[in-house]
Amino acid sequence: MSGLRDNWRIVLLVVLALASVVTLFVPGATVATGNNATASNATSATEAGVTNLQYGIQLDGGSRIRAPIVGVTAENVDLNSTSEVESIENGLVDRFGLDAIDVAARPPTSPAESGTVEVFTRNVTQAQLATALQEQGYDVSESDVRNGVTEDTRAEMVRVIERKLSLSALSGANVQSAQSATGQNYIVIEATGRDIDELRSIVDERGVVRVYTLTPAESGNYSRDQVLTQQDFETIGNVRQREDGGYGVSVTLQDSQAQMFQDHMRQNGFDQQTFCNYDRENPNQSSGRTQSDSARCLITTLNGDVVFAGGVNRGLAVQFADETFVNDPTFSMTTQTRQEARDIELSLKAGAPLPAPLDFENAQTTSLEPALADQFKINSLITGIVAVLAVSIVVYLRYGDPRVAVPMIVTALSEVLLLLGFVSLIQFPINLSHIAGFIAVIGTGADDLIIIADEILQREGVATGRVFQNRFRKAFWVIGAAAATTIIAMSPLTVLGLGDLSGFAIITIVGVLIGVLITRPAYGDILRKLVLDQGDSE
Amino acid sequence: MNDDDTPMSCLPHRKIRRLIRGARTPKPMNAFEVPEVDYDQYTNRQLAAVPLAVLGLAILILVGWWAMTGAPVTPGIDFTGGSELTVVTSMSQSEVGASFDTEPISIQQAAESAEAETVGPNEDQYVVRFQSATTDSLREQAQNADMNLLSSASTAPSFGGDNQTTAVIGVLVAFLGMSLLVFGLFRTFVPSIAVVVSAFSDIIIPLAAMNLLNIKLSLGTVAALLMLIGYSVDSDILLNNHILRRSGSFYESTYRAMQTGVTMTITSLSAMAVMAVVATFFNIELMASIGIVLVIGLATDLMNTYMLNLSLLRWYQFEGVSR
Repeated sequence: MSGLRDNWRIVLLVVLALASVVTLFVPGATVATGNNATASNATSATEAGVTNLQYGIQLDGGSRIRAPIVGVTAENVDLNSTSEVESIENGLVDRFGLDAIDVAARPPTSPAESGTVEVFTRNVTQAQLATALQEQGYDVSESDVRNGVTEDTRAEMVRVIERKLSLSALSGANVQSAQSATGQNYIVIEATGRDIDELRSIVDERGVVRVYTLTPAESGNYSRDQVLTQQDFETIGNVRQREDGGYGVSVTLQDSQAQMFQDHMRQNGFDQQTFCNYDRENPNQSSGRTQSDSARCLITTLNGDVVFAGGVNRGLAVQFADETFVNDPTFSMTTQTRQEARDIELSLKAGAPLPAPLDFENAQTTSLEPALADQFKINSLITGIVAVLAVSIVVYLRYGDPRVAVPMIVTALSEVLLLLGFVSLIQFPINLSHIAGFIAVIGTGADDLIIIADEILQREGVATGRVFQNRFRKAFWVIGAAAATTIIAMSPLTVLGLGDLSGFAIITIVGVLIGVLITRPAYGDILRKLVLDQGDSE
Repeated sequence: MNDDDTPMSCLPHRKIRRLIRGARTPKPMNAFEVPEVDYDQYTNRQLAAVPLAVLGLAILILVGWWAMTGAPVTPGIDFTGGSELTVVTSMSQSEVGASFDTEPISIQQAAESAEAETVGPNEDQYVVRFQSATTDSLREQAQNADMNLLSSASTAPSFGGDNQTTAVIGVLVAFLGMSLLVFGLFRTFVPSIAVVVSAFSDIIIPLAAMNLLNIKLSLGTVAALLMLIGYSVDSDILLNNHILRRSGSFYESTYRAMQTGVTMTITSLSAMAVMAVVATFFNIELMASIGIVLVIGLATDLMNTYMLNLSLLRWYQFEGVSR
């Protein structure tokens, strides 16, 4: 009993080391919340590797995009009612010739705040927005207008991108909003195992889907009326190839929108079969089209480009005519290519367009093929092992006595084991920078163990438990101080958003903490046991 | 519990001594021992002169570099913006360069490529860097030229500029935090400033060395510089602690601190040297640059701790305190 109690540090280390082995190697151990499992947010069941470690894009292949959001924001705008919101938005849309989705006015959410007005385009400068708002009668100076968008917009960006990525079956995708030390906000999108082109194509465009009707107007022209936006849809089917070779997406409207849509269609002559000769090349040249009563089109645009233009077939026309459409408000959009159909599907399923475009001109991208990642994985593992060997050899040469050196090396390795267990438990994706962090931890770990060993063994004298206690405490003052400086030196990196480096810093800090709190005290106990047992045995 | 109060008999005591001796004086064949430096021979001025001269030279190099290139250290593409492609191809280095519309700023051939699975016979793996930050067209050109594209990375210039500011802020905050902590720990001016000056020199000298070795400032080297703050302070704190807070003469304390401290630094240094060599061989740039900068920094730290810091401490102990 007393043995257990006296050696509780060693016991704790062994228990934690075993727990780490379990979290590392037992399949599913990271998801199951055992006694040691804290807030494990592990969800994705990745392909079963030898370990439960999660690898980041550098070690698993994949792509990452870090891009700012295009936009300017006016703050401290004194707007309170929804009617004001509308008048500001409409005013800006007219003034700058913008699309409605490129403007967002938000009343304050609490009395302490003030309203904001955002414009999501490169074409409006800070000064222009300030002037425009001033002319609408708002007390906004140029200093109230900054580059970037509001927090609400950033959160919405993250939500929409996350949704699009999950829909596109990009496994292991991770989206977050980050801020650099200079106050620049940007969105970080990371997807393991994917090509950069693939990832770009998903977030490149806003994914704005609109449905218009094109009907003959009196002057011989055609009038184009927007009837639906992507928020109006209830369910979206999957892309299917049709018998005629085209691709179709079956869509169902929300009940609240179905009636309006049906009324609009009835009023505009879609209650009978219509034919569409929409000329994609020259949409404005109406003269080239068949002038007849039945020439009516239903048009779907994606990001402003027409992807579907077609007439209403007999079956659907009948539904509009006898007003049964509202009972099952479903119709099918067809496209010529699978990609177009897929894009429509994805954009519609995302439920909302990206609130603002991403600024790819000022972005940072990284993309790695899985083959190169594998190469990095193996090579960095070798690098780590060789570094451990180097430390072991130096330590052995210095102490000569394996009874001091071997526990030292084992303890230093157990630090890495606990750290691996930890990252595996929280399913932290490991990159190259983290492996550098592991090696740094081995370095500081060995340093501290040397301090303990020297302190306890160096000075001759009565080797009683009390003396050990005392020396141990002295060694710990230095170790604690050294650990504190390392943590302080590394902590700016954890928050500064320097990409890879925050991971390096986090691993180093966690490693130092594990070392100071768990493994290094345990090594002190091992040494104490070693020397005192020596005494008992004779 | 009762272990603490058990007095030791004579017999085990001898055994312990043997163990201690074993630990301290290993066999000369396979061991190294920290040499006992005869500090008595040198004055404080002489001791401090060498590291201060090196520091002065380093500052001179950085200032000169600044005057010549516009930056104290040449920033890499992490900070200037640019792109980097990793390709595998049977083409020669110059053929690779000629395959792109824009001329690359550097082409680096991976050393171990022959053994990697990604590389076929008669093929080589290259890392090609460009000033331009548009990977789209570069990727296309690489693929059109029959290169197997393994990775691509790009940083827009604005992003790089942002990184640069951020990195400078990071290093400053880390250094300031470390300084405050050291002053808080020792609460006396001279020993604290000795640590801070040593740490400062530990960062400046590797920076100057980077210029001479043609290593550009990257995120990896910034991490290494921050790591150096942590590593270098370890041995300084140890030295201060032994001299100021322990019984025993100045030189006894110094020797004890050196035995531990030099072992520590040599251990870290060997780990980092190995990491630098292996990672360079494998063309893992991030780890290689962290390794190289730390090797230089740790070597600098040996000099700064046991010459600069020590001379300041000795002055403080023998002259400063009595005044």
